[in-house]
Amino acid sequence: MYRLRTPPWLVLLTPAIVILSTVIVVPLLLSLYSSFTAFQLTRPETITRWIGTFNYQKALGDMNFWWAFGRTVLLLTLALNLEMVCGLGLALLVSKVMRGQRFLRTLMMFPMMFSPILVGFQFKFIFNDNVGLVNNALQSLGLVDTAIPWLVDGQLAFISILIAEMWTSTSVFAILILAGLFAIPQDPLEAARVDGCTPLQTFRYVTLPFLMPFIYIAMAIRSLDVARAYDIVQIMTAGGPARRTELLWTLIGRTGYVDARMGYANAMGYISILLAIFFTVYFFRKLNAARTSLGMGD
Amino acid sequence: MRIIIASSALALAAGMGLATAALADGEFAGVTIDAKLIGGQQYEALYARIPEWEAKTGAKVNIVSQKNHFELDKEFKADIASGSITWCVGSNHSSFAPQYPALYADLTPLIAADTVAGFVPANIAAATLDGKLVMLPRAQFDVSALYYQKSLYADPAKAEAFKAKYGYDLAVPETWDQFRDQAMFFADPPNFYGTQYAGKEEGIAGRFYELVVANGGQMFNEDFSPAFNSDAGKQSLQWFVDLYKAGAVPPGTTNYLWDDLGNGFASGTIALNLDWPGWSGFFNDANASKASGNVGVAPAPKGSAGVRTGWSGFHGFSVTEACANKEAAASLVDFLTNEESQTLESAAGPLPTRTAVWDHVIAEAKADPYKSEVLAAFQETAKTAFPVPKTPYWIEATNLIYPELQAAILGDKTVDEALQAASDAVDGLMRENGVY
Repeated sequence: MYRLRTPPWLVLLTPAIVILSTVIVVPLLLSLYSSFTAFQLTRPETITRWIGTFNYQKALGDMNFWWAFGRTVLLLTLALNLEMVCGLGLALLVSKVMRGQRFLRTLMMFPMMFSPILVGFQFKFIFNDNVGLVNNALQSLGLVDTAIPWLVDGQLAFISILIAEMWTSTSVFAILILAGLFAIPQDPLEAARVDGCTPLQTFRYVTLPFLMPFIYIAMAIRSLDVARAYDIVQIMTAGGPARRTELLWTLIGRTGYVDARMGYANAMGYISILLAIFFTVYFFRKLNAARTSLGMGD
Repeated sequence: MRIIIASSALALAAGMGLATAALADGEFAGVTIDAKLIGGQQYEALYARIPEWEAKTGAKVNIVSQKNHFELDKEFKADIASGSITWCVGSNHSSFAPQYPALYADLTPLIAADTVAGFVPANIAAATLDGKLVMLPRAQFDVSALYYQKSLYADPAKAEAFKAKYGYDLAVPETWDQFRDQAMFFADPPNFYGTQYAGKEEGIAGRFYELVVANGGQMFNEDFSPAFNSDAGKQSLQWFVDLYKAGAVPPGTTNYLWDDLGNGFASGTIALNLDWPGWSGFFNDANASKASGNVGVAPAPKGSAGVRTGWSGFHGFSVTEACANKEAAASLVDFLTNEESQTLESAAGPLPTRTAVWDHVIAEAKADPYKSEVLAAFQETAKTAFPVPKTPYWIEATNLIYPELQAAILGDKTVDEALQAASDAVDGLMRENGVY
């Protein structure tokens, strides 16, 4: 009698497949399906009301969505580059310290330990126009005699959010780049010195190429974080005033949970995922190119 | 502890000669009522009475969630979406209630008619949606009255300068036009501001709504198509714009919500402040407020139509449609909103929603001039107060309206452009949902 035998690899993989399907695939498919319906949280029966691509057409035709999309790309670009530059500087400085380096490394990780909501409240207070630290300091020093509306003016509010993001996450870059600095072999550095390279040339042509894989890994990780920026922005400005600091996830969060229009929110979410996919693919290609140039590629 | 609470509550009731809702001994023995209630220190005193109801009826109350209303709102929506309404009693709010048309049961057949008759009729009307009494109001009635710094009106130099500039005597404002003049007059930025207003979300949309009504307009037509893009609407939005442009409000006011406003007035840097009754004690508390001892309270001013602003709301308790024992749940709701419960709760400052308790708190406050002034101002304002429009899309509509109001205030759009954009957006929302 023929007896069907399950191959061992399938038996071993089944638990992983079941767990991944339950936790990831099913919710993803459900949310994708609901983006084609008029699903409202307060009216569960609407999940069966199929409306085709209406939600996608509405999002694509909505200027407020595209402004939020553009603003998110801008925040992503500025935050990643500035955090990288500051993180690189911090890592280079810390790597030169001989005594107390462990203490400095611990200190550097402090901002990462704060919850984003706490960071949001902290910077909301710092930049408050009436009782905030920055305005009080500027007024006390006699530098200004008016209350600067940090969280109201479009550009200032964007900069305030950027500063809060940088404060909390620059150390991610610093720690990863510091690990890269420790991993650099000494031979090429010594060879560069023997060949008469200036410190700047050594950094530009030897140190930096070795660090690039670490930088791209940090950028890939952080790009996913910034593309999902929500907590800090929600607390500091909630996307306002007058949508001046609206990002994709404050818009999507409000649409889904406050307005209860989960179908529409999911449609916007799926369009936004393209952004995260683009940045992740971009940084992984850069990472592979950097590894190849160091002779580490496949 | 349970005995002490129960006996003191009974003593309180006996002392005042108030009616106690009749509860049959052991009526609901063995029943467990799961409840999702608003959490916070100010609400705990009432919940301390629950063991008394448990002892009397034999039922048990299991509080499964305690959060603020915004968090509860999200939780209720998630429960509805996932079909997991396994609880019986929920805290409700008149502003949120229209969003859950099928969640809560009609209390009319579950609560005695004479019990319902003991509430302020306007509150019961606001708690009735599509003919269903969806909640019984607790002693947490909210309407805004005018808080002001009394010393500003006792300075002859200011009075003289004001009359010279505006042509009429400086006195506590009775109209919103006078309020605007005085806010501009008192402002001395960045150290002192004439006033402030809630600048985002339902906060500013609600303030705009009450000004539109006070100026003789309305937010929606009878079919719920937007009606605020009118002369009254433009006049109302212009009021916000004028104050902002003149620097009479803090420049960050478009980001402010209730806590920012309360703390702002308590910092002593705001002359006039339209605010809720819950702040009255805080504003006059020497340990918490720089304005203490200098706080005056007056009824909310009137708009150009001679109507007082009065956007109001209140907390209440509801029974879910899915509840297995609605009679027991309704009994608990009745108990938490009866005269003893409201007397206990309003002793700490919040306004009651029962006629007899209003009379009681006013009589009790006679010895305290500040408290009497507070109650008189709020009672006068409450007489003409009105709830939010009864549409399930109110909160969603406010989310479309407020960014446009902000855009006009900050100068990104003109008043006409902003109201046109808000009106178009709300019209789209209503049409998309098949309202008309």
